[in-house]
Amino acid sequence: MIADPTYPDVVQLAVPAFIALILIELFWIALRHRGGRYETRDAVTSLLMGAGNVASGIALGFVAWGFFMLLWTITPFDLGTAWWVVALCFVLDDLRYYWVHRFGHRIRWVWASHVNHHSSQHYNLTTALRQTWTGAFTFMMIVRAPLILMGFHPAMVLFVGGLNLIYQFWIHTEAIGRLPRWFEAVMNTPSHHRVHHGRNPRYLDANYAGVFIVWDKMFGTYVPELDEERVDYGLVHNLGTFNPLRVAFHEWIGLLRDVFQPGLTLRQRLAYAFAPPGWSHDDSRDTSAAIKEKHLARHPEDRGTPGFS
Amino acid sequence: MPLGILIALVVGGIIGIALLTRALGFGDECRLTSESAARAAFLREFPEVEIHAVTRCADCRAALMETSRGPAIVWAMGADTTARLLGQARLTETETGLDIHLPDITAPRIRLRLSPEERRAWTQLIGFRA
Repeated sequence: MIADPTYPDVVQLAVPAFIALILIELFWIALRHRGGRYETRDAVTSLLMGAGNVASGIALGFVAWGFFMLLWTITPFDLGTAWWVVALCFVLDDLRYYWVHRFGHRIRWVWASHVNHHSSQHYNLTTALRQTWTGAFTFMMIVRAPLILMGFHPAMVLFVGGLNLIYQFWIHTEAIGRLPRWFEAVMNTPSHHRVHHGRNPRYLDANYAGVFIVWDKMFGTYVPELDEERVDYGLVHNLGTFNPLRVAFHEWIGLLRDVFQPGLTLRQRLAYAFAPPGWSHDDSRDTSAAIKEKHLARHPEDRGTPGFS
Repeated sequence: MPLGILIALVVGGIIGIALLTRALGFGDECRLTSESAARAAFLREFPEVEIHAVTRCADCRAALMETSRGPAIVWAMGADTTARLLGQARLTETETGLDIHLPDITAPRIRLRLSPEERRAWTQLIGFRA
């Protein structure tokens, strides 16, 4: 019997590099007075969210691991551990990430977990660490099942997922403008990801990529950063709290309140949980599609331009 | 990485970065220094709501709006701002001003520093109190 492969926990190993890069960015902004903004309470909240994410991973990671190992016992395939298998796994896992991320913005149940990552009005390297505490409750681990059933070992799948997360750290910055055209064409970059964090109607629901921006171009969700429209970071309705507990759980509580309010049909209750964020049974709220339409009603000249086509 | 080292890195990193941001002057709150700044900050959250009147508080950390959807507020959230409609607000007086309580888990309490005169005016403008 061949022993299970082992891979390092690259995210934990990267923690010193995360801290060092945050310090470099912080001093760069302080010295140059450009390249982004920092604010103490915002940064601390982001860092506490990151610490909570690591803690929840340690506490709840066994659920996903148990599920993956169950799949591994079922599958007849084993692609081994050759370097090209790891590389292929990395690319396919990035495709997996694209769809999980897209679900995270289009299905309220998943958005309830992901919303905290968008809850900062800043965009700096601490924002990258503003991660969910409740990812396990979204059951998005299921989207990794095909990889394991295809014969990629669960340890490898988690390893490349960690590499994906590390890649995404450095793109959460305003200190880097645009990179060479060939790189911007293929890879996710600070410019592409700034768009993703925008609350401007133009930039909503765009650029879901993790590492390769080509997925957005393939699936029609790519929007370029426009020089004439500066990205406004945060949520459509920004939070009025820095309390990490409220940041972590507010959308779950809102979702449950909506689902269990009296007088709804079963279909409406399900829609509050699984329809796009902003859906409401009485049209008292706006989805991103409605926000874009209302923007176009005020600014018809934007119709047909990126983000409104 | 041993758990003890990871915890030390995370705790030390958070405290260190918090202290550094303060030392570098990144702890200042946003100030709504003009009526137009307050209007812009409010419209950033509610672009379709018509603003009839703006009352800024003396410390420039908040502004009360009379709008087409009733009373509303925009206030400083760190270096930025956020805004809420106040249709379901409950007010309590404090030694330094006024607390606005909202049935909103993302903004359950807005603490305002107001002079006694401002407090009276704001209470009247918001329309009711606990």
